Amino acid sequence: MSATHGVLRDTARTVLILAAALAGCWWLQQAAPSQALVPAVFVLAVDLVALVTEGYAYGIAASLISVLAVNYVFTAPYFVFSLTVPENILSTVIMLAVTIITSTLTTQRKRQDQIRSETARESMRANLLRAISHDLRTPLTTIYGSCSAIIENYDRIPKAQQIKLLGEVREEADWLIRMVENLLSVTRIDGGKVRIVKTPTVLEELIDSVLIKFRKRYPGQAVQVEIPEDFLIIPMDAVLIEQVIINLLENAVQHAEGMTQLWLRVRCKESKAVFEVADNGCGIPRDRLDSLFDGRMDGADGHKNMGIGLSVCATIIRAHGGAITGENDPGGGAVFRFTLALDPAEDPQPEPR
Amino acid sequence: MGNNKYKVLIIEDEANIRSFIGAILESNGYQVLMGATCAQGRMMFSSHCPDLVLLDLGLPDADGTAFIRTVREAGGGAPILVLSARSDERDKIEALDLGANDYITKPFGTGELLARVRAALRDRRPGPATPGEQFKVRGLCIDYDDRAVTLDGAPVRLTQTEYNIVALLAQHAGKVMTYSAIIQGVWGTADAGSVKKLQVNMANIRKKLGARPGENPYIANELGVGYRMYGE
Repeated sequence: MSATHGVLRDTARTVLILAAALAGCWWLQQAAPSQALVPAVFVLAVDLVALVTEGYAYGIAASLISVLAVNYVFTAPYFVFSLTVPENILSTVIMLAVTIITSTLTTQRKRQDQIRSETARESMRANLLRAISHDLRTPLTTIYGSCSAIIENYDRIPKAQQIKLLGEVREEADWLIRMVENLLSVTRIDGGKVRIVKTPTVLEELIDSVLIKFRKRYPGQAVQVEIPEDFLIIPMDAVLIEQVIINLLENAVQHAEGMTQLWLRVRCKESKAVFEVADNGCGIPRDRLDSLFDGRMDGADGHKNMGIGLSVCATIIRAHGGAITGENDPGGGAVFRFTLALDPAEDPQPEPR
Repeated sequence: MGNNKYKVLIIEDEANIRSFIGAILESNGYQVLMGATCAQGRMMFSSHCPDLVLLDLGLPDADGTAFIRTVREAGGGAPILVLSARSDERDKIEALDLGANDYITKPFGTGELLARVRAALRDRRPGPATPGEQFKVRGLCIDYDDRAVTLDGAPVRLTQTEYNIVALLAQHAGKVMTYSAIIQGVWGTADAGSVKKLQVNMANIRKKLGARPGENPYIANELGVGYRMYGE
């Protein structure tokens, strides 16, 4: 928004609110003549002005205007600026002080809110970075250690054990790849500067592609798919949404202890597609329900921690203008749900930074 | 013996990636040539006439697509397999439309690499089907003369357009066909609604071939890029 636009908007708001206060007092004066109400109404008006405008200037200007208006219109002698009556001077000074203080306080509070939300974002970023560094170090240690062991003791380690070590190296590398893919996805949309490019994607093809990739990683895990029979096209960045679904499925495999069934459901509700990944495992621990998507790491859980995976999901879905939730099913197990708009015209607003 | 091995040229600037791809191919009976830059690749290509090229797109001296363009403009028909990073669909599509035969997304496993190499080498004679030719892969059989498709012996009723799409994919089995290449081949011209028209037809074809999400035995979806008929 341009600066002139902001000034115009704030001036218009100030004028409107003051005009409303003036009109209101005038009407009150006609209905029930009472001196006590007028200053109260103007204090309220100034407070409102300070709330809806940027900076101190409008609030203070509004308070000066109010004082003059009260003096001119509503204080005897009417329609004259009179600072000769001592009580008029005193009431003018008091009112000026009250309005300036309220407008200053309101503005200060707004600034503090802004600072607080910036701090929250910073600390979320720091948490994410800490989690990432930790998560990257663990597999790298295994990879480096196993490879060194094999190179330095090539003749002494039995072949079977070498293959076992190399298998672990591959597993860890595979995990690192997925991690980096997640991070890449976030950098692709982080900052809200880069708009997501949505292309019309056939739901069936998306789900097909997801299942093939998921099966490659977890050949033993069956997924029950329930999607609409109809041909359905949803605008999205398919690579990113594919990653969201895979992350959610993977999250179930790694965290839903005792799971015997895993569902992937999609249905249309109003003008939205609702995606659901549900399992019948142990559910989400109650103390984690509130912070599922903020990338918090899970203490001693080693690199099985999917906090980053879930926070990546949230970032992607929000950038699409959708919503994501995670909760426990009353019947047992966890349900993760996210929505995407079906209408391509419904463009997402990029997240403010 | 050495002479009838397939010659594979690897053009990739990362020495470690070159070395492990080379090791995989050599141990599977291919003769391996290597180039680290686009210029080296061109030189190797013209002096050794490889049977197949594995090409990285991000080369230090020029974009890999420049290599594809030179080779194809000079009439070189050797299949080119692009090694690409994830998520740059536009590069993949550009490379395919310039004449690359396939792409393989990094990172990839040995099995996947070898399968793509085999498919690309098999795909060396594309073009119109010869009389009496049939396409067969597992239960699916396409008789080009009769324009008939059967699945496990039972006829599959396809519309004209659906048949044209299936036949086009089958003639290029193993190769990814971009949306625009299929549209060009089936309808001749493209307009704004073409991709959707193609996607709707593909949905019907999948249904008629009995495919379900995750179990698509004949035609693979390359999300955002195109479709590929499995060659094996």
